[in-house]
Amino acid sequence: MHRFEKRNHDNTMIRKIKILLILMFVGYGAMADNIQFTMEGPEAVAVGDQFRLSFTLNENGSDLQLPDLSNFDLLMGPTTSQSSSFQMINGKTTQSSSFSYMFVLRAKKEGKFTIRPASIKVNGKIYESNSLTIQIVKGQPQQQAAAAQQGNQSQPGNQSQEPASTGTVSKDNLFVRLSLDKTNVSKGEQIRATVKLYISQNVPLNGFDEVKLPSYEGFWTKEIDVPQQVSFTREVYNGKIYQVGILKKTILFPQQTGSIKIDPFEITCLVRQKVGKQQGFFDDFFDNYRVVKAKVVSDPQVVNVKDLPNQPANFSGAVGNFNLTGALDKTNVKSNEAVTLKLTVNGSGNLTLINPPKIELPQDFESYEPKTTERTTANDNGLSGSISFEYLFIPRFAGNFTIPSIEFVYFNPSTRQYETRSTQAFVLNVEKGSDDQNGSVVNSYSKEDVKMIGKDIRFIKQNQAKFQPKGSSFYGTLGFYSTYVVSLLCFGFVFVVNRKKIRESANLALVRNKRANKVALKRLKAAFVHLKNNQQEQFYESVIKGLWGYLSDKLSIPVANLNRERASANLLKRGIDQAVVNELMKLIDDCEFARFAPAAYSGTMKEMYDSAAKVMGIFEKQIK
Amino acid sequence: MKRLLNIILALLFTSAVFAQADLLQKGNELYVKDKFKEAIDVYNQILMTNLESPEVYFNLGNAYYKTKNYPHAILNYERAKLISPDDEDIDFNLQIANQHVVDAIQELPGIFIVRWWNSLVNSQTTDTWALISIISFLIFLTLAGLYFFARSGNMRRIAFWTAFFLISISMFSWSFAAQQKNWLVNHTRAIVMQPTVTVKSSPSEKGTNLFVVHEGLKVKITDKLGDWLEVRLADGNKGWLMTESIERI
Repeated sequence: MHRFEKRNHDNTMIRKIKILLILMFVGYGAMADNIQFTMEGPEAVAVGDQFRLSFTLNENGSDLQLPDLSNFDLLMGPTTSQSSSFQMINGKTTQSSSFSYMFVLRAKKEGKFTIRPASIKVNGKIYESNSLTIQIVKGQPQQQAAAAQQGNQSQPGNQSQEPASTGTVSKDNLFVRLSLDKTNVSKGEQIRATVKLYISQNVPLNGFDEVKLPSYEGFWTKEIDVPQQVSFTREVYNGKIYQVGILKKTILFPQQTGSIKIDPFEITCLVRQKVGKQQGFFDDFFDNYRVVKAKVVSDPQVVNVKDLPNQPANFSGAVGNFNLTGALDKTNVKSNEAVTLKLTVNGSGNLTLINPPKIELPQDFESYEPKTTERTTANDNGLSGSISFEYLFIPRFAGNFTIPSIEFVYFNPSTRQYETRSTQAFVLNVEKGSDDQNGSVVNSYSKEDVKMIGKDIRFIKQNQAKFQPKGSSFYGTLGFYSTYVVSLLCFGFVFVVNRKKIRESANLALVRNKRANKVALKRLKAAFVHLKNNQQEQFYESVIKGLWGYLSDKLSIPVANLNRERASANLLKRGIDQAVVNELMKLIDDCEFARFAPAAYSGTMKEMYDSAAKVMGIFEKQIK
Repeated sequence: MKRLLNIILALLFTSAVFAQADLLQKGNELYVKDKFKEAIDVYNQILMTNLESPEVYFNLGNAYYKTKNYPHAILNYERAKLISPDDEDIDFNLQIANQHVVDAIQELPGIFIVRWWNSLVNSQTTDTWALISIISFLIFLTLAGLYFFARSGNMRRIAFWTAFFLISISMFSWSFAAQQKNWLVNHTRAIVMQPTVTVKSSPSEKGTNLFVVHEGLKVKITDKLGDWLEVRLADGNKGWLMTESIERI
């Protein structure tokens, strides 16, 4: 698999894929075989300058195939050199060696040239180096010879061509630039600000003195670590080759909108300059130099910051590209035990400025302010890393609770849109804690008022509705009125009927009365005749006979069996009042008394007759 | 012949009622799914058939409330309250919806007896009052019969006074029913439906601007002239406004 032999370049499509694969395998194969073959050279040279092109291989190789170097004059080479090192760490020995091939070339003409990869054979396999791009600029006559390859080591022979040492350094030869990777950004989007010091090749720099950093007002800043020792690289700027050192790298996060001006960066450089022109013998060996302070100031820069489009309510303030993860430290707890929900935001952007996302905890939970832990690194790609929020809360009551999924809204400056990342919902199972159970003191239970959390209308009515035509009601219908009329009519009817019945029953009593009187008169008919004829003895006898006959008829007892006790007992039994019975008995007594001793009887015959008729009438009414 | 027609009408009516019950069910399901706009359409469909029930008005009011259409919510709660004045849920939701009304009207205190009277009248629905009236009348008749035909004097005395009491109840509930029916039929109350309405001193555009009322306010209609209505606010202020700016309850 990891073999790669690049031999022929066939048709284009396959070739592209192959190149891709090969590129992948180069890395892989190199790793696997630990063979590294690299080409090194300067980035920029002036026309006519000599420069070094070197190939380094960490194995012993053979058959070095050079790329096309027709744009350059090959002055010398290859010079091979070899170095090896042994390392012993914890008893483990590692050996590394490197073989290098060096060529000295000279640039022929201006332009940008790409040197194709070289190839070399190691143990029968062919390895390729990287390719290299070299920019050739117009030669600068005065400086041309000035120590092209040797960096800033000045060569004694070329000193006469150095600029006049006036104590100042021209702006072309020494300046500072503050470069921003973008100047039109959204609020909160990160900008990389790099402060570079440009020194012309022939200006020897001794050091720095005062550095005044820009205040970066209106920005939240984060420094990118740069090596303390400024390392210089060659770079072409405005068609000239400079030694360029990076002094400072900062990530800026604009905190306000509009045009923000960045203050210039000021630095005082110590530059070595030759003093005077001495023609002494030793001049060539002991030059007199002095150190000159040169203050350089960068140009001010302006950044245009756009405001974010209308922010959603739950916008976290994050600008960049992020991911959100969240986890509960435990899902089964006892009540009154603390639970931690940890939310982690990964990505690059203004991580430090993110507000903790709001989490919706069940109402009974006791919650605390989230704890924020930041782990960020600032590098050339910007500020990246992670920030985590730990929410500590304590469920006070048992039950199954769900913490709804947490949303994290951030602004993506590359799409200029808000994006949302969310976690899953968390389920927390809370069991009754032991401290709940041993509440032996009943009084210790604390009562809580039902908290009104929100106000809303009551829910719709789900019951079966009774529909009726609009504006209709039972009141006012025919049925309503007729109920009154009908019930009133019924009442009237019942009333009339009842009245009549009462009257009729009253008549019945009258009839009975009449009949009773009739019976009494019939019984006393004989007595009445005797009364008229004033025959006392016969009168009393007929009254007694009539009374006994009447009682015998009424009580259905034969006259022979009838006596006073029996008659009165029977009469009482049939509902006759005691008083009436007593009256009857008195009447019978009086009658018999008067019959045998008429003179002793105080009353008249007429009285006797009337009271006998009256008693019989009462009987006739009362007897049942 | 007429009887047959009545029976047919009754049958049609019941089938319509079944259809409405289905619609109400559908509307409720939509409401539960938070599809308030669709629910409103369905509820209104029921009301379009000239049938009504307090539940439909109440649920419609809820749906309007959820879509933040507060004047319509208030209007429908008030309509529900007219049919079912004793429903506590309706009162509650109406009160909440009224919190969205801009105008804070200081209601005239009124005579306490009138307030008691009105709250008593509103404690039952029209039909309940009608039923109370009929039942007490029937009991009255029974007691009257007892009075007329009872023999014992004590019984007659009790029957007399109870009957007197019941006939009063019957008459009062009759009048309560009549009053409620009056409110139900005459639609003398209305809700302001336009966001802001300028109330004029006379029924014309040239009238002096008296005051401004906002949507959701309840007014009483006291007079009418062409397109103009004279309304009275709860605080006693009166003025004229256009018919289309309010909707009768």
